[in-house]
Amino acid sequence: MKPALIEMRGISKAFGGVRAVDNVSLSVYPGEVVALLGHNGAGKSTLMKMLAGAYPLDSGEVMVSGQTASISNPADSQKLGIETIYQTLALADNLDSVANLFLGRELKTRWGTLDDYAMEKAARDVFQRLNPNFKNIRVPVRSLSGGQRQVVAISRALYFNAKALVMDEPCAALGPEETRMVHELVRKLKASGVGIFLISHDMPDVFGLSDRLSVMKNGKTVGTYRTADVTEDEVLGMIIAGKKPSNVVECFAPVEVAA
Amino acid sequence: MLNHLQISALDLRLSIMAGVLVVMALVFHALTGSFLTPENLYNIAQQTAVVGIVAAAVALIIVARQIDLSVGSVMGMVGVLIAYLMYTKGWHWVPASFAGLAVALLIALYQGWLVAYLGVPSFVVTLGGLMSFRGAAFLVADGKTQPVSDPTFLMIGGGLEGSLGPALSWALGLSLAALLVWNSVSKRRRAQANGFPLRPLWFEAAFTAFFVAVLLGFIALMNAYVLADKGQGQGVPIPVVIWGVVVMGMAFIVNRTAFGRYVYAIGGNPEAALLVGIPVKRVMLKLFLLLAVMVTIAAVVSVSRLNAGTNSLGSNMELYVIAAAVIGGVALSGGSGTVLGSVLGALIIQFLESGLLLLDVGIGMRMVLIGQVLIVAVVFDVLYRRATGERMT
Repeated sequence: MKPALIEMRGISKAFGGVRAVDNVSLSVYPGEVVALLGHNGAGKSTLMKMLAGAYPLDSGEVMVSGQTASISNPADSQKLGIETIYQTLALADNLDSVANLFLGRELKTRWGTLDDYAMEKAARDVFQRLNPNFKNIRVPVRSLSGGQRQVVAISRALYFNAKALVMDEPCAALGPEETRMVHELVRKLKASGVGIFLISHDMPDVFGLSDRLSVMKNGKTVGTYRTADVTEDEVLGMIIAGKKPSNVVECFAPVEVAA
Repeated sequence: MLNHLQISALDLRLSIMAGVLVVMALVFHALTGSFLTPENLYNIAQQTAVVGIVAAAVALIIVARQIDLSVGSVMGMVGVLIAYLMYTKGWHWVPASFAGLAVALLIALYQGWLVAYLGVPSFVVTLGGLMSFRGAAFLVADGKTQPVSDPTFLMIGGGLEGSLGPALSWALGLSLAALLVWNSVSKRRRAQANGFPLRPLWFEAAFTAFFVAVLLGFIALMNAYVLADKGQGQGVPIPVVIWGVVVMGMAFIVNRTAFGRYVYAIGGNPEAALLVGIPVKRVMLKLFLLLAVMVTIAAVVSVSRLNAGTNSLGSNMELYVIAAAVIGGVALSGGSGTVLGSVLGALIIQFLESGLLLLDVGIGMRMVLIGQVLIVAVVFDVLYRRATGERMT
């Protein structure tokens, strides 16, 4: 079997005396969606922020395609092909959609100046793919709707050809139409071999999209299972009581489905 | 209509400020009869330059959610140092100026490092700097005034000798006008080539024509200032030329470089800037270094204007600089403001100073009024942002 796209081993992180993430291991394989669940404060977002380079690891290691990776800032993570869509979307409200899409990774002319024309052209293409009705791309993103802002954040992952994608509550602020758009996109990316970590509270999201799921509680992993092997009640039991379901085997790598 | 013409809230705001400037000029002229004369406007232009040069850079500092209260003191210290090296040590003005620049950069490295890498609030760091470097300005030459007399150096400060003269002024004006036209045409061409929506041609043409007219009008005005014993027009004062170069340079940085964009991103959402991989600390440090360059330029201009370096050089200048930026529409909450706005802000303050002076208003009353104008500007800012949806409450 091929190595995991991303494998996190024994990751820990403490803030002051609080162990936000405590010896957690989790992996995602190419073309797989792994859902990450848990209460607020369970450590999901902290774990993902370490993968994104926003927080340094206290201990543990991250392997990308079988090789040890050192991620000390967001740029490192991006260079490894990991894109993160934060719950807060990480948009600079005072800049327009094009500037936000390329923020930190601007296209340059041969003089080293910003190539606004190339950026706007590329941005129009990406936005078009995500939402054909999205036209006002030259206004500050603060004046956009929640769905349009989401499009801008997601377009970063799309434009920069993510190998692995972290989505933190991508549908939390969206209407039904936009939620369907995000679901469709997740399936499309999955089909093209992208590995996706999906943080979500929403059971239909999780059961509709994920291949495996992992539940965290108080910074520790409760269990990691194939989504098809567990029921919604069992998942809720893990989230609320931290109770592993009986007679289900844990699953740390996707099972090759016999066609 | 506004959408069709692609006019942003920002453009509208700059137009309003330009309008305020025009109204102020007309009112003062009506009251005094001597405001809109070439002589007065020549003086206003060169008096505004020092504050304007520093304000262009401080505007960016404020955009990045920082502040620098030490600019006046640092300018004082650097100015005295340059004058001291020339007068007491006998240096040529060029190496003396570069020595001043080196010291300014060292100070910026120190203050910028405290702010960017240690996370000390810039208000506190530069408040300390405001006091320390004023003291250092005294220490450099033991409080003694350092006169300078190099004729080339003295031209930098303007005055009656330090201007371009009619021929050079026209050459400068016409080449800048050509640059403006070329810029608009090439922008339009490239937008067309990429299939982006265009502004109507008449609007684009009127827009460019307006700036060309302002530019050439200014040149004509400066040339119309003729001293009796000289027999020819003064032309553009050199400090104004320097200010213009600084403004164009800063505008280039803001609009065309990644660094400029990062400054705005940091001001708009510092957390997002970090998360998308912007090297926030390094950008912040560079910003303080950039300001140090502008402060040094301003120090050279003002020492030259005063023919001397004194330990009180640049006292209270930080207040005028910050006021110019704020009146010019730079939001203290960060992320918003323009370099052109800082120019208009600096001019509004100087118009007010000069107009009130012509009206024989005393220093006390002038300070009272200018202070209240600052507040009016900020009130306008708050209401305007609310009206254009930039601020929710």
